[in-house]
Amino acid sequence: MAESQTISAVQEAVVGALGVSEDEAAPDATLMDDLGAESIDLLDILFRIERSTGVKIQASDLSEYIQGGIPDDEFSDENEIISEKGLEQLKKVMPQIDADEQRGNLHAENVIKLFTVQNLADMVEQRGGSAGS
Amino acid sequence: MKLEGKSALVTGASRGIGRAVAAALAAEGAAVAVNYRSGKAQADEVVKEIESNGGKAVTVEGDVSEYEAAQRIVEQSIEQLGGLHVLVNNAGISRDALIFNMEPTDWLDVMRVNFGGVFNCTKAVLQHFMSQREGTIVNVSSMMGLRGWTGESNYAASKGAINAFTRCAAVELARFGIRVNAALPGFAPTDLVQGLLEKDGGKGILRQIPMRTFATVEEVAGVVTFLAGPDSSYMTGALVEVDGGVGTMLGIGAPL
Repeated sequence: MAESQTISAVQEAVVGALGVSEDEAAPDATLMDDLGAESIDLLDILFRIERSTGVKIQASDLSEYIQGGIPDDEFSDENEIISEKGLEQLKKVMPQIDADEQRGNLHAENVIKLFTVQNLADMVEQRGGSAGS
Repeated sequence: MKLEGKSALVTGASRGIGRAVAAALAAEGAAVAVNYRSGKAQADEVVKEIESNGGKAVTVEGDVSEYEAAQRIVEQSIEQLGGLHVLVNNAGISRDALIFNMEPTDWLDVMRVNFGGVFNCTKAVLQHFMSQREGTIVNVSSMMGLRGWTGESNYAASKGAINAFTRCAAVELARFGIRVNAALPGFAPTDLVQGLLEKDGGKGILRQIPMRTFATVEEVAGVVTFLAGPDSSYMTGALVEVDGGVGTMLGIGAPL
């Protein structure tokens, strides 16, 4: 699937599940903070994406994808602030994050709040490498 | 036929209301998985009856009170019928006793089968129903879940749990294209309520029912079929009373 098709499929799912306008579901909008998605919304979005693209993503896959296999105690420090190694990883999956701005402030549980429509589309793209069409 | 091309799983379908539901769904064109726990011969009969009427049905063995079994029941139904669109959670037991005499296992067993079965099978169909964004779930509850009756505290509590679960499931699943409703029979003369009818042939109960008749299992099945099918497409979370008016009444009374 072409990248442009993936982002439209994700945007369509977000619009359908959250009842926001297409403009609001912009690639740089964060799902939780900007668009107010809750856990049931996320589930709805993921099922809609599965239906339209054939790419199956579980809600629990999200944090795994973000963390890129880095163990919790390396991803963040003892106060659960994202480590340097964690920031490096985030650059790959959430490139919009300004590492300098977030260094020393970004709490592990707040990372998901920065996850954008585009980040989700990238994840779908990556997962759909073999399954998508 | 309203359910042509659809597939349905009915739990506890070897006898009583479940059997009538299986037959009614099949009569509307649905392919039916007849679940049973111990009544294999009876379940086979239900399938034979449906087939002789030109319908399609299969038996699926399993105890809905066990989650793994429920998963297997659902998987086999999907596999054998080639899909699944309707789940009727009907399997139920009773262990009537006064609370004073009731053993802890009496309420736990009833809760495990009646409410546990509803939870287990509902959860087991979700991946499939949510993926296809289509599905109807009908829980066979009871008027006992709304009102009190001597000797039925455990059964009534399990049905009350089903009613509450029906509402919550309806709210959570609506956006995924899944409707969840319940039918609440009053008194239908099945094996399950035999004890209630033994005393005086049920006369004492009949006098308390405005319609003065027990529900036939077909009358209950008719409501279940309506809730399972397209005619109830805008209904979800409803607790539909099928009780001959018994729940409507304050008590037996007349002005004079």
